[in-house]
Amino acid sequence: MREGDGPTHSFVVLEGLVGTTKLTGEGKRQITSFFVPGDIPDLHGMHLSVLDCTFSSLTRTSLGFMRHDTLRAICDRHASIATIFWRSTLIDAAIYREWVTNVGRRDAYTRMAHILCELIVRLHSMGVIEDHVANLPITRAVLADALGLSTVHVNRVLQELRRNGLIFTEGTRFHAVDWAGLVRAGDFDATYLHQRTANTF
Amino acid sequence: MARYFFDSGDRDVVLKDEVGIECDGIASARHQAIEGLIDLTREFLEDIDGQELFIEIRDEHGEKLVRLSLSLHAQPSGQ
Repeated sequence: MREGDGPTHSFVVLEGLVGTTKLTGEGKRQITSFFVPGDIPDLHGMHLSVLDCTFSSLTRTSLGFMRHDTLRAICDRHASIATIFWRSTLIDAAIYREWVTNVGRRDAYTRMAHILCELIVRLHSMGVIEDHVANLPITRAVLADALGLSTVHVNRVLQELRRNGLIFTEGTRFHAVDWAGLVRAGDFDATYLHQRTANTF
Repeated sequence: MARYFFDSGDRDVVLKDEVGIECDGIASARHQAIEGLIDLTREFLEDIDGQELFIEIRDEHGEKLVRLSLSLHAQPSGQ
């Protein structure tokens, strides 16, 4: 699904990780958000006819597609479902606000800790992971493009987080061994995720 | 493609890169290094005369290939 397309379907992420990406005129990529299983990244496509970003699979993913006309018919019949979809896009907007703040104003160390906290909370709330261990088969280049950093600096910052005993990485597995410490390091407050279930972390 | 390692830091604290990045040659590795040095400078440059920040590229055998460094000269004007 690419920028400029006029989609007739929305999709739900069933497995894996999806990112919205934008390219600058000179070809630099910014990943503007991540979507985890259970998310419907392009609900706005129901009402906005042209895609203003590209959706990319960041890992192996499995997606389910839903026709827009069917979704509209469901929303017309069931106000509560329309409300849930509206709420979902409002939370997406809240996440974008947090990402602008993260990429624009936090230093690289805090920025990385923040994005790891966000991913772990979102994956945990969808029941994809237990504890604070997430299998994230994403490349350092993906993390760099999500954080607006060079790959060299991403490696440096991950090394610092490991050295400070906040995370342990093994292959593609990220283990937040000191969750409270990672939350502090990441200046992370989960309010913007507007999760209804109390976070039991 | 080969794996290059990018140690970074200043004269006092050096962080050794244990993971590295796959690059298709030294020119590409140098490009990665300069981008890294820009981030390092943005994060760590302080008003300290003589402060030096660097990135040093190693190959898989541990051989040091290139060192890119920046240093700050901060002195009262007219001296």
